[in-house]
Amino acid sequence: MSRIPFVEERNGESIVRVPLTRGLGLTPVQAVLVLVGIVLLFGLPFFSGLVGLSWERLFRGILFGIAAVGLNLLLRHTELVSFGHAAFFGSGAYGVAVLAAHYDVSEGLLLLLGAVLIGTLVAIIIGYFVAGYVDIYFALLTLAFNQVMFATVFRSGFFNYNDGLQVRIGGDRPSLFGLEWTTLGYNLVLYYTTIVLLLVMLLGMWKLINSPFGRALDAIGQDRTRARFIGIPVERYVWISFTISGLYGAFAGGVYALLRLHVQPEPTLYVFVSGEILFMAILGGFTTLVGPLIGGIVLVYLLEAARFWVTYYHALTGLVLLAIVFFMPKGIVGSLPSIGAALAHRRHDPGLVREDIRGIAAAMRRAVDRAITTVRIIVFGVN
Amino acid sequence: MLEARNLRKEFGELRATDDVSLAFGETPGEMVFIVGPNGAGKTTLVNLLTGLFEPDRGSVVVHTEENGTTVEEDITGMAPEDRVEAGLVRSFQIVHVFEEMTVRENVRTAALSRYDKTLSMRTLDDGHAEVEGDVDDLLARFRLEDIADEVAETLPHGDRKLLDVAMAFALDPRYLLLDEPTSGVATREKEYVIETIVEASDAEEVTTVTIEHDMDLVKNYADRLVVLHEGRVFREGDPDLLENDPELRQVLLGVDE
Repeated sequence: MSRIPFVEERNGESIVRVPLTRGLGLTPVQAVLVLVGIVLLFGLPFFSGLVGLSWERLFRGILFGIAAVGLNLLLRHTELVSFGHAAFFGSGAYGVAVLAAHYDVSEGLLLLLGAVLIGTLVAIIIGYFVAGYVDIYFALLTLAFNQVMFATVFRSGFFNYNDGLQVRIGGDRPSLFGLEWTTLGYNLVLYYTTIVLLLVMLLGMWKLINSPFGRALDAIGQDRTRARFIGIPVERYVWISFTISGLYGAFAGGVYALLRLHVQPEPTLYVFVSGEILFMAILGGFTTLVGPLIGGIVLVYLLEAARFWVTYYHALTGLVLLAIVFFMPKGIVGSLPSIGAALAHRRHDPGLVREDIRGIAAAMRRAVDRAITTVRIIVFGVN
Repeated sequence: MLEARNLRKEFGELRATDDVSLAFGETPGEMVFIVGPNGAGKTTLVNLLTGLFEPDRGSVVVHTEENGTTVEEDITGMAPEDRVEAGLVRSFQIVHVFEEMTVRENVRTAALSRYDKTLSMRTLDDGHAEVEGDVDDLLARFRLEDIADEVAETLPHGDRKLLDVAMAFALDPRYLLLDEPTSGVATREKEYVIETIVEASDAEEVTTVTIEHDMDLVKNYADRLVVLHEGRVFREGDPDLLENDPELRQVLLGVDE
């Protein structure tokens, strides 16, 4: 039998089975995808103009994507839904802003380090309180902590209320690697530093989820009671993963502040941002490692682009979410294996395409029939 | 030796466990069966011993031999995960396995915990040889090798039960509490499940405390018998009790079968 990629035969049934990050070695296809991804990331500032995208905007998407990768540690492994991840993104962003505006720290990397420490500390504190909860209680608690932080910052003179803080030291933007840069140079250096750190963080996350610790988190997500009874200290491990998850958000927020040079509560700390981060993970595919990153880029791009296409562009987020949940519950990256498998299947068996067409035709016929029936009922009162 | 001292647990008006004092494993490796009609407090007793519930009164004590002297440790308030370290392990009446993991991953997760490796960041296939050795042994012992790569949720009930028990054994228990390991298993397979458990516990000298409804199994495999009735210890002793104690037969058969 010729082997079809992504498809396993079991008990006479063919099963699509390619968890992208389970298994420790990369398949050739995955390796190629990883390489392409890295090339795309490094080339972004050069070719994005060619296809009419602003790379700074995509950069912003990448940053939210990093936060979503962090959130996904909880979502995918411990199976906890956090509605409050903007708390860490915002802590990171405000960490940079406060250190720059109030304490005159002028080196960008130092600011970033401070931001990560501050955001992680916030995650440790919130994690301590939420680690014992599950399901809706966990979601609501994280949401509540997030909202408290937002309201505090919004009302506090130290954070300059709604206007936010400038990431400027006496009017100057921070230095990077001890040097002053032009605007473009600054953004490029920041971008490439971020990409290198991002790759390190992705590798770290990949190591984590494929380690015994990652398996323990899976165990907690799948059966908390049993996890406890095989000796896993559940609350402590959830706390640790929550903290790591927050660290990713804090890093992303810190870079965001360095990029925007102005931090306001609404785009960084508001609970809607938490919702967006969660949405990015689902959009990109929360069953995968890199899905949330892709989700972040796609969503930010969609929102930016849609501004010019559609009047009700905010409704677009909702529509996309509905479409994803109904038609692609595994998200963009999560669906790749089944799409790949379907294509491979059809290459091996062209008859399937005919069946597809027949299936679609039948579905359309049924829809038309239903519509006719409905119209008939409306017009004549009977069928 | 694992000891229950005057344990009591109430749920509202119901006294599920009432002044229960028992000792398990005075002879290390003994196989104790707990029987009794529904609602006798069997599962509650196991839950109290393993730390799922805290007792309202009484205590749970573990006696350990160290250099010839016996050390007594009160584990009453201890969290379940810490009791595992003290050698106290359980399985569940309603199967609790990690549904999305394969059989091998399930057993491996338990074995990693046994070797205190759950915090390790080393990649799974790297340098955990003793864990993999244990996993292979257990899969062989519980005859799960052929389905080692099947995902747990797709397995038939009997295999899931065996997996549940195999995970308990992966933790290297000294006291193993099994809550109806044969419930829902087809009659002809019950013997096989118990047989497997007996073999495994004999090999490691594990004291097992098993809740069981099938009296034929109890007669055949019990070293000792504990009968619970209305939360209390009704009888305790040799499995022969089942044959020649009319009052006991009344309690067990009158309600249960």
